[in-house]
Amino acid sequence: MKKKILFILLSVLSFMFSKAQDSTQKQIQSLQDEISMLKKPLKTHFMIRGFAQFGFDASDDNVNFNMTSFNPVLLWRQGDRFLFETELEMEYMTNQLSVNLGYANASYMITKGLIVKFGKILIPFGSFGEKLHPSWVNKCATMPLGIGHDGLVPMNDIGIEIKGGLQLGSSKLSYALYAVNGPTIKDGTVEPTEAGMLAFDNAIDNNKNKAIGGRIAFLPFQNSSLEIGLSGYYGKPGSSVSPFATDSMSVIRDLNYKTVTALLTAVDISYVKMISEIGGVIDIKGQYTMSEVSKASYINPTDTTRMPYSFNNSSVAYYAQLAYRPAMLENEILKNVELVGRYSVYNTPQSSLWYSNKSQITIGLNYWLTWRTVIKADYQMTTVDNGMSGMTSSSSMTGMSSMGATTSNMILLHLGIGF
Amino acid sequence: MIKIKYIFGIVISIFTVIIILQSCTAQKAMIANKSGAQLWGENCLRCHNTPTPTDFNDEEWKTIGLHMQDRANLTNVEATKIVEFLCSAN
Repeated sequence: MKKKILFILLSVLSFMFSKAQDSTQKQIQSLQDEISMLKKPLKTHFMIRGFAQFGFDASDDNVNFNMTSFNPVLLWRQGDRFLFETELEMEYMTNQLSVNLGYANASYMITKGLIVKFGKILIPFGSFGEKLHPSWVNKCATMPLGIGHDGLVPMNDIGIEIKGGLQLGSSKLSYALYAVNGPTIKDGTVEPTEAGMLAFDNAIDNNKNKAIGGRIAFLPFQNSSLEIGLSGYYGKPGSSVSPFATDSMSVIRDLNYKTVTALLTAVDISYVKMISEIGGVIDIKGQYTMSEVSKASYINPTDTTRMPYSFNNSSVAYYAQLAYRPAMLENEILKNVELVGRYSVYNTPQSSLWYSNKSQITIGLNYWLTWRTVIKADYQMTTVDNGMSGMTSSSSMTGMSSMGATTSNMILLHLGIGF
Repeated sequence: MIKIKYIFGIVISIFTVIIILQSCTAQKAMIANKSGAQLWGENCLRCHNTPTPTDFNDEEWKTIGLHMQDRANLTNVEATKIVEFLCSAN
């Protein structure tokens, strides 16, 4: 009897063990299936990256903590050829949160050397606006003069672009061609002192013309250390309708800007190389930009005669930047230190109401906490010469004022983060 | 100002011609012969520090690779090799 009970117990136990083993095997198999599913290449992928900059500025007049910017970048990849990307520019200024759309576009790789993209694009004019503007990429806490909002250089616009990189023997060539809504010209009706200035941030075109442009860059060395870029941008910024069509004076009624043209050209250069003889990385960047807007007449609101005036609408902006990081040193602290110097200039048309001759020297010391996190300490001297601000008209010279040159100093301590 | 423009233009033109001539006679080290690690070091550094491969997973590197191919005008071979190298670290 005892033997029978023992036999039954052993049978039940062995059955239970075998069941438990089966269950464990199934669980292991299930986990293995899940892992292999996760390892399987995804057809679609979404991620959020971006950059931010927080800072402390001390000028001659005030000392200020600020949240300079927070720019999330959303990337959505479908397959291996399609990408949607967008950047939101969030800034907290004058006690208000400002949110702008930096870019939002879809791109598709048609062939290995041809990408087509459409939407709101970063304009490939020069190298700074498209490639160097993120706070953890820009080696200084501020942008060079003439680049950025209200600058000489178009930063972004809505349109279509084709671009790519090609191998030329041991050299490389990159190209970008685009058609976008284009700039508008400030006619002085809203901001009279900015009459004749180009405005690039336009969601809706003011005419039927499209601005066209392109950039060709040549990388002659097989290590891609040197890049020389040439950029051009042409557009008609005026509306076909005169903003003064209802004015009582016929001389003013005749003013219109539909034939005005704007031509912008730029040369940019970049040289970045790890040089063992100097124990680190040397980084040279520069850009020279010229803007030529054809002559037109404007009204000065302070001129009681209301006689139109005109001026040669040519502007220039350029910068040169040198950075050195002793990345080959063994000392863990010194190898993350970077020295930066930048000189930039922005000259607007003489005889315009917005004439100024600005120059800026920036000397910086960066400390890299990680490859995408940097503490920037900059000392910046900006000289502004408004000179003889005024205008010429056919009958009078009014509104002239000698402002002279003023220099302001600023210390900036910023944290730039890429995430 | 016009003088400066001419001088600037001439200097750039001479410089460009010298560079083109040099590149034509330089050793033809094709991208195809370069490793992903070498291309990662050369191309990323043109704008920013070289990224740490382990900071992102494979799918993220593929998305970032496509983004950077567009932004930096990398050739397709360069982008593919760089992404393969970055993924190999995971």
